[in-house]
Amino acid sequence: MIFSFIPILIVDIAGSIAMVVLAVLSLYKAKLLRDIDHDNAVFLYLLWISTGFTIFAVSRSFGHILKLFLIVTSNIDTWHAISPYSGSVNTVSFMLIGLITLFFNQNWSINEKISAGREKLENAHTELMNLNQTLEHKVIERTEMLTSSEHKCRRIFEQSLDTIIVTDNKFKIMEINPAGITLTGYTREEMLMEEMTAANFFAFPSEWERINKKIGSEEYILNEEAEFLRRDKELILVLITGSLDYGAFGCEPTYHFIIKNVNEKRQMERQIAQADKLAALGELSAGVAHEINNPLGIILGYTQILLKQKSDFHDDLKIIEKHVQNCKTVVSDLLSFSRKGSTKMTIIDINKVTESVVNFLSNHSDFRNIEMALNFHNANRINIVGNEQELAQVIINLIINACHAVDKKGKIDITTQKTENNKALIIVKDNGKGISKKNLSKIFDPFFTTKPVGQGTGLGLSVGYGIIKRHHGDIHVKTREGTGTIFTISLPAHKEFTYGMQSGDMTK
Amino acid sequence: MEIRTIKSLLNFLCIFVLIVIFCILMPRDVYATQLHSSSEGIITHQIGHVFFLFSMVLLIFTITGKGLDRQKGWRLIQYSAFFFILWNIDAITAHFFDNQIYAVKIQDISLTRIRIITRNNSSILAWLYYFLKLDHLLCVPAMFLLYKGLSKLVDEQSQKISKKAD
Repeated sequence: MIFSFIPILIVDIAGSIAMVVLAVLSLYKAKLLRDIDHDNAVFLYLLWISTGFTIFAVSRSFGHILKLFLIVTSNIDTWHAISPYSGSVNTVSFMLIGLITLFFNQNWSINEKISAGREKLENAHTELMNLNQTLEHKVIERTEMLTSSEHKCRRIFEQSLDTIIVTDNKFKIMEINPAGITLTGYTREEMLMEEMTAANFFAFPSEWERINKKIGSEEYILNEEAEFLRRDKELILVLITGSLDYGAFGCEPTYHFIIKNVNEKRQMERQIAQADKLAALGELSAGVAHEINNPLGIILGYTQILLKQKSDFHDDLKIIEKHVQNCKTVVSDLLSFSRKGSTKMTIIDINKVTESVVNFLSNHSDFRNIEMALNFHNANRINIVGNEQELAQVIINLIINACHAVDKKGKIDITTQKTENNKALIIVKDNGKGISKKNLSKIFDPFFTTKPVGQGTGLGLSVGYGIIKRHHGDIHVKTREGTGTIFTISLPAHKEFTYGMQSGDMTK
Repeated sequence: MEIRTIKSLLNFLCIFVLIVIFCILMPRDVYATQLHSSSEGIITHQIGHVFFLFSMVLLIFTITGKGLDRQKGWRLIQYSAFFFILWNIDAITAHFFDNQIYAVKIQDISLTRIRIITRNNSSILAWLYYFLKLDHLLCVPAMFLLYKGLSKLVDEQSQKISKKAD
């Protein structure tokens, strides 16, 4: 049968060219894929198979075009000579494609394993990243919490009104808060530079030894009372609570102390106890005085009647009268102490009263070797409502006591002050021997005296106490053995013109 | 480690192919124990086609088996393999008729016309052979689909990378 050769010719030539072009383009695309992921075995396969197809397309197209060319140019013999080689290359290219494809399956399994491994690795990496991020967040969170906690602790440490001290295991000061600096009077630098220990604050080494022993054996102390000696040599009563802290692993143990200043509180407690005791004594004294006063009056009355008559016992009656008078004075003093008597109250200037007392006493022989200094408040007058004689009596008693304390040779300072809260103060300060701790709580007791028998009644301070209380005031004492004593009388200052009078009588 | 294994396998394959090409291009008298007739060439060529066809069938099943046909690129490669199968059948049939059983012979009448001489003057066989000679109508689409498939895979990979980058 005869057929047109044109369709075969066109399809052959165009097809061969298209095959080469498409094969090269496919190879290019496979190369792109391979460049995207060098480790992907499937892409490697695609590159290889595209190479195989390119070899196949080129060899085949070359064969076809050359065959047509040689046939058209009547060189059929040449084609017969070349055709076995062309066919063989063609066959090899089939084989090549076939082999590569057969490898593909195995290749794919390997690739799957690699991909799964990679995915696992990526997941693990992501998990690790997340874990790391979580860890970082946690670290930030914990750091913030730690900072906040540290800040809180630091604030407590800095703002605490009680002293907080941290020492090493040999009680050397490591940290002390501002309250501690105020309490001890030492600067932080002094404590650290001079390597001060907790023992340095104690006034009495025996107290430190006791506390040291207790904390050493029990690893803590609770509300132990002790006296601290400030840098300015002032004694302060403190309550100490402390414990041993073993700290973190590998750290040296430390001691933490919280020290509470109870000086004022304890002083106030003592004063209250003293006031209660004196009030009870006052009641007792008043009762006794009242019961004794009437018989004494009768005895004195009859004695004086008998004295008016001529009698052989005139001298004896005089002695009885004298001693009854003495008894009446004691009874009167007791009544003064018990605040039971009635007193005439006027507006008086304490500066004036004090000055007159000092002037009066300075002429006394006992005060010749005593340096008396009078320091008045800036104001010309400090008025109070009171009894001038009684107040003078109290001041005289205090100055005479000071005179005995300095052993008639020393310095006595008498100061008047007016405080912001409208209190008038009279301060009598001496540099004498001071009052012992043992006697301090008894000085206002009636009939308490340290003087030899017959030299003092022991009613001076107790009567003074009663007078000041009757004036709605207070009397305080501050003393240190061997250094001196300070008596402070505190009285409510009179608000001038408040009652619409400049001076006048007030009776209570 | 496994990629290295694949690479060494492919290298081995490459060396093998080069040796085969060398042997073909540089023929020498080999006084082997057995003589080879000229018909071995066509048989080898036909085996090559069958091998090619078989590998394309395997490729189609591998792509389906691995679930790669869900991606358009691999689906196009699958279609390409199918067209290569058709082309191989076409080529095997054509070679069978003209080179193996010599049932068909072509005679050039002019530049534009040919005569197809068939055994028993079968016109069906002549027409069949004529269409079989237009085999580029199968292998060109196959190659085009391969190109399109690879292009699609490149696009998909590029998109993946840009998504990751975002």
